[in-house]
Amino acid sequence: MVRAGSSSGVSRPASGLLWTLPAVATAVCTAVVCAVVSGATRAPIAWSGLVATVAVALVSAAAVRRGRSLTELRVLYAEQDVALKRRLSQQEAETVRLAEVLLPDAVARLQKGEFPEDVLTSMATSEAGRNPDFQAAHRKVLRSVLEAVSAEEDLRDAAQRAFVNIARRVQAIIHQQAQDLREMEDRHGHTPEVFGDLLRLDHGTALVGRLADSIAVLGGARPGRQWSRAVPLFSVLRGAMSRILDYQRVELHSVSEIAVIGPTVEPLIHALAELLDNATRYSPPQTRVHLTAVEVQSGIAVEIEDGGVSLSEEARMRAERMLEQAQAGIDLNDLGETPRLGLAVVGRLSQAYGFQVSLRPSAYGGVRAVLIVPQEHLTTATATGRAHGIGAVGGTRAEKAPPRTTLPRTTNAPGTGPRQSPPMSAPSSSASVMDDDQPVVTERTANGLPQRRRRAPGAPTRPADPRDPRAAAAPAAAGSAPAATGETVEPGIWLAAFTSGVSGEPAATSSAREKSDESLDKGETP
Amino acid sequence: MSGSDKVWDDADPERLYVITGGRSGDSQGGSIGLVTLIVSQSVPTAGMQPEHATIVRMCQAPLSVAEISAYLHLPVSVVTVLVTDLLAESRVEARALVARAQLPEPSLIEAVMHGLQKL
Repeated sequence: MVRAGSSSGVSRPASGLLWTLPAVATAVCTAVVCAVVSGATRAPIAWSGLVATVAVALVSAAAVRRGRSLTELRVLYAEQDVALKRRLSQQEAETVRLAEVLLPDAVARLQKGEFPEDVLTSMATSEAGRNPDFQAAHRKVLRSVLEAVSAEEDLRDAAQRAFVNIARRVQAIIHQQAQDLREMEDRHGHTPEVFGDLLRLDHGTALVGRLADSIAVLGGARPGRQWSRAVPLFSVLRGAMSRILDYQRVELHSVSEIAVIGPTVEPLIHALAELLDNATRYSPPQTRVHLTAVEVQSGIAVEIEDGGVSLSEEARMRAERMLEQAQAGIDLNDLGETPRLGLAVVGRLSQAYGFQVSLRPSAYGGVRAVLIVPQEHLTTATATGRAHGIGAVGGTRAEKAPPRTTLPRTTNAPGTGPRQSPPMSAPSSSASVMDDDQPVVTERTANGLPQRRRRAPGAPTRPADPRDPRAAAAPAAAGSAPAATGETVEPGIWLAAFTSGVSGEPAATSSAREKSDESLDKGETP
Repeated sequence: MSGSDKVWDDADPERLYVITGGRSGDSQGGSIGLVTLIVSQSVPTAGMQPEHATIVRMCQAPLSVAEISAYLHLPVSVVTVLVTDLLAESRVEARALVARAQLPEPSLIEAVMHGLQKL
């Protein structure tokens, strides 16, 4: 039996013989008994022996047949057992793979911005040749997980977009308000009381603006404003100072004469403002915060040192870790747990623009934050800044001046004579010569003061045209003309034009002067 | 991303209160008016605030406060504050204008002018 089970092919002939063995034995016994007994008992014994032999033979045959089928069944079951175990282990492995490889991979790809359908199809091709039901079940699991994840991501994206959108609107309003305030500051510049109030309002607006900028940056957007021109580093640093509460405590030290390229200006201002804000906020109110920028090999290092409490090594590590985390990308949902919003913003901006930020204990006892701006964000070209902010203004102004004077101006006010936009200096001097030869008619100003004709070059006198409204308005800026042309005019004469303008006299401004005013205005406000 | 992404070319990053250090000129500006003439007493040195340096450079020849204001594109109050700083450091000198009361009568001037022209 056991042998038959182990190898059915060999056992067939043996078992075929084996099942006849009991029947043969019974037949032999019957024959022997028949030989031993005699007489009348032999016939019944022989009969019963024959019956017994047949019965035994039948039973043996049945037993053997059953045994054989049992063996076959066992083989079958064993095979099935092996197959099932193999499948089970396969499925286990598959499930483990799903949990450890496929799902994280799929979620990662989703977070990178792939669509769930794309991820699913690429996953389906990777696992061919398995049980279809099992595969289908796995795909279902994968799909439902991916859908849940993508729904969550979409929600987060929508929340971030909403954040950024609101921040953008606030930025737009702040921008408008800042411009309005600047105009008001210009308009009320001569009234110190109003001007002081405007400055305070301006400061408050800038603070709100920084907050809106921070929200936009944390929402993953670019900073709201952009400068298309390079801005001197000094202006950038003062721009950063403009946006913090305690700007008066910041002491701006000498700064190397270098400019920051336009696209980097806004992020740099914002990052520095956040660092300055941290420095002023976490140091005693009576201490100063020192702001310096020095050239280093890799670019410019902006240093912010405060005299506050020094960072312990642990706190420093925590702060730097926060910077690193922010560089890796910060979740808006985590911000509630982040008390120092500023560092998150700095980290974000540093990551986007390649600034290197480090926080170290300062020699003053506080913290020394160093932000390194890489060389590619800097330019040495003279920035075309406005008058304030750069030291070399006078030079650029003088260089710019000559083209302005040649700007022709042909639109004349009616009744002001033949001013056909001649080059400035020549006709004005000839006009003054002509005027000198003519008999003098003394004119009266509005105040009753007699008016003397000037002999200075570029300032010939013409009868004032009362219809020309510019004549009264222009003289305030009239002094600019000689400077622009590079002529040397006595200061007192510029002032005379100015005083006459202030006193409301319909000044006898010369054609040349008026022209130069116009052209100057054009040149000044490109 | 949205409409606020426009380029800010017309603006400077720094606001006026940073230039004046938060002062509006109401307490210091008493002696300085629009027409006060400012004359430099020194040359600009390194480390000066750029506005200060520019004013000192400009005022090698006398300039009025109003003119400085126009050149620098800064409100008069800001210029007043800056000039007051420079005055305190004796880098510039302020020259007041001749008051109108000290001027002779207009008729006298007229007579002198006519007299001169007849010469």
